Amino acid sequence: MSGDASVLRASGSGEQAGRGVWAGLALWLLAAMLLSGVAFFLSSYYNDVYRKLLLWVALALSYNFLFGISGQIAFSHFAFYGIGAYSVVILLFQANLPLPLAIVLGVLLCVVLALVVAIPSTRLEGFYLGLATLAFAQLFLVVLNEGGSVTGGAGGLANYRLPPVFGMHLTGPWYTVVIVVVTLATFAILLRLDRSWFGRACRAIQDNEVAAAAMGVNVARTKIIVFTVTSALAGIAGMVYAFVDNTVNPPIFGLENAFLILFMVIVGGSGRHAGAIIGAVLLYLLPFVLSPLIGHHHALVFGVVMLGVILFQPKGLIGIYDSLRGRRRAAAGKAPG
Amino acid sequence: MQDFLELIVGASATGCIYGLVALSFLLMTRPTGVINFAVGEWAMVGAFAGFLFLSEWEWPYPLGVAAIVLVLLATGWATERIAVRPLVERGAPELAPILALLGMLVIFRESISLWFGPDPHPVPYPFEFARVEIGPLFGASLAGSNQSFVIIASTLVIFFLAWWFFERTLWGKCFEAVAINRRGAALMGINLSRVTSLSFAAGAVVAGLGGLLVAPNISAHYLMGIPLAIQGFTALVVGGPGRVEGALLGGLLLAFAEQLTVRYAPVPPGYAFGVPLILLIVFLLVRPTGLLKAREARV
Amino acid sequence: MSAVAGSTPATAPALLEVRGLSKRFGGLVAVSDLDFEVLPGEILGLIGPNGAGKTTTFSMIAGSLGASSGAIRLAGEPILGLPPHQIAARGIMRTFQHNMPFPSMSVAENVLVGMHCGFRGGLWRVMLGGRAAQSAEAAGRSRAGELVDFVGLREFRHAGVASLSFGQGRLLETARALAGEPKLMLFDEPAAGLTLAECARLADIIRGIAARGISVLLIEHDMHFLLRLVQRVVVLNFGRKIADGLPHEIQDNAAVREAYLGAPGALAAGT
Repeated sequence: MSGDASVLRASGSGEQAGRGVWAGLALWLLAAMLLSGVAFFLSSYYNDVYRKLLLWVALALSYNFLFGISGQIAFSHFAFYGIGAYSVVILLFQANLPLPLAIVLGVLLCVVLALVVAIPSTRLEGFYLGLATLAFAQLFLVVLNEGGSVTGGAGGLANYRLPPVFGMHLTGPWYTVVIVVVTLATFAILLRLDRSWFGRACRAIQDNEVAAAAMGVNVARTKIIVFTVTSALAGIAGMVYAFVDNTVNPPIFGLENAFLILFMVIVGGSGRHAGAIIGAVLLYLLPFVLSPLIGHHHALVFGVVMLGVILFQPKGLIGIYDSLRGRRRAAAGKAPG
Repeated sequence: MQDFLELIVGASATGCIYGLVALSFLLMTRPTGVINFAVGEWAMVGAFAGFLFLSEWEWPYPLGVAAIVLVLLATGWATERIAVRPLVERGAPELAPILALLGMLVIFRESISLWFGPDPHPVPYPFEFARVEIGPLFGASLAGSNQSFVIIASTLVIFFLAWWFFERTLWGKCFEAVAINRRGAALMGINLSRVTSLSFAAGAVVAGLGGLLVAPNISAHYLMGIPLAIQGFTALVVGGPGRVEGALLGGLLLAFAEQLTVRYAPVPPGYAFGVPLILLIVFLLVRPTGLLKAREARV
Repeated sequence: MSAVAGSTPATAPALLEVRGLSKRFGGLVAVSDLDFEVLPGEILGLIGPNGAGKTTTFSMIAGSLGASSGAIRLAGEPILGLPPHQIAARGIMRTFQHNMPFPSMSVAENVLVGMHCGFRGGLWRVMLGGRAAQSAEAAGRSRAGELVDFVGLREFRHAGVASLSFGQGRLLETARALAGEPKLMLFDEPAAGLTLAECARLADIIRGIAARGISVLLIEHDMHFLLRLVQRVVVLNFGRKIADGLPHEIQDNAAVREAYLGAPGALAAGT
């Protein structure tokens, strides 16, 4: 029989991790510079496309953690995007708060609302959780439409501008830099969470709640934390979005987009960060490519692609990439089928 | 008083529509365990089929309805064959058919929108006259839009048929058996794929008829699916997903809550749509099994 | 309490004490007034015919079932009624009879989940990264690797769970539970579904665990496996303890015989 007494008690320190941290940081900085640099070579039209693409990537990454890694079926993600957007605009221009305070309060609002949704809902199983979050998303729209002068009602709010940050007016490519930073920060946070004991706990819960609890995972608390963190990340992305078009109105935050995020994550490859990125890029850019052919009905293509993926390639596009590389992932994320 | 009676009739009719959507959902979920978010879209298909056969091509009403039922049967059967059967046979995780049906939801909606355009399309009433007075009742005449009575009557018929199906026919017992224990039922010789096909076909018919019945009042529109689906789900959760009667009870309760809120509560009318949502959330948190418990096995 | 004086004198205080434990399901009494102890470093077997209450008792200790009355103490601390994740945090880890691995993870990662309680580091620290988190992670991985080797699954370290046979899955269950650095290991029918060779190997591993000072409580139907492995046996019948002693004493115990085989003469009479 192999083994030694010490394996049954914790061993000492691990390898030197120091060098890895600096190398990692350098990579992130490089990515930030490259992605930001691109913005300065794009015309304003393409800059707009690029900004929205980055935001969709951020949304898909956080949704992937909620749905693909933690296994929570939720339709409220885009609603939190909207809550973030509306709240920063309302706090800035109706409550006339300074920008930093508006941001902090906006994030706080998202966290509080997410807790309100998550704490009772974590007891609900799959479908029921989806239903509850769907109802929440619809309720958000009702509140927006009936919000009178606070939310601007059905017309929403418009004609505002981002106030100067540290005396600088962040417009054009400089604002795109802000979005790059937010997106990369979101990615970094989620990556860190995933590769830690927390990420393992989330995957364990998705795989088998009973076994996860027996191993010491506080299932309810973990689910609540995941929902809250990912919803808050969506809210932050929303705050950034508010100043992209400088307009917020109810149709923007409708159910279409809630489904679209789900489709992006599934088509790209549920449970994998790379999958979320690929799905977001593909499904966001697809309408631009298809519009000469199919006009505004790109949703039809989304539906067909989604169905096709579920039926024929449940691991998503990243699955195709994996098989082409001949790599078999022992730690594959959640994949339908 | 007159006002109040009209409200009752109107709310009952609306409740019936919700009940039909809930029933449709029940018919599919019980035997197969698959949650079909696309029931609202099937109602929409029924409404648009109504437009096509009855408004556009002006077929006689009974013939049109028969044709619509056939279209719905085909729709349900096709949906099951495409989005559900391959996944169930492959042993895919439970989530897969649900997601596939979400894809179908979008496909249905966009196809209709592509074919018919984004404007609302009128669907004719089954009978000529718009209002009917049913004599004096408690000193006031019970009046209501004629369509409301058609809706109520049709719904009662459909629910009766559903009840009769589950309680009295062999096929209904098969459905129950599959709902209780899929594997056991298969071992007893019940053809699982027939049950699944039938349940989806029946679900499509029920939902589609619901759409057809409500369409004369609100016109067929490609966005009508999701609100109907949410209201139907709420009705199901409120009434209890275990029993057929629960679907109707839930629908009526929901409709009455909505109407009473709109009429008597001091909030802007737009909030009416918030009522089903709040009700849904409350029930999910407090009593997810609904008001009516599933029938216990009779030993 | 003990029917016969055992050869393991209870000089050390008991690690697990079960006192007056009862469980009623409506009118049915599943466990009634159960008293027993598990000593440090001891292997205790809990046996009894079907329906005797073994699984119910097991579930109550593991935290997945509440009790109607009684007390359970671990190292003097009451633990009855705590949820499973807190039971694990206190130092009781368990395996599952039907093997419940995490299919989306590799063998080593499954074992890492078992270490969950050992990873204490707030979420902020996780999110902001930093050396402490990374070296804890690295230490965890290396220990997980050692545990995987200990149970004999070295070649499968990075393999998916699906590539394991049932018996190997049982070894994974064991390694995963061990990762939690338990004071007490609960084995739920560990021999179920294993070949003779696999049973022997598992028995060796369990002996190794106990030799390091970790107590073991196992419920089991396979007498051959159990009686050669355990140091003491508690026998249940109809929810009550009917015997408590050394394996050879239990085998000779008339009450135990009767519980399993019926009253003498019953077989002959054909009842």
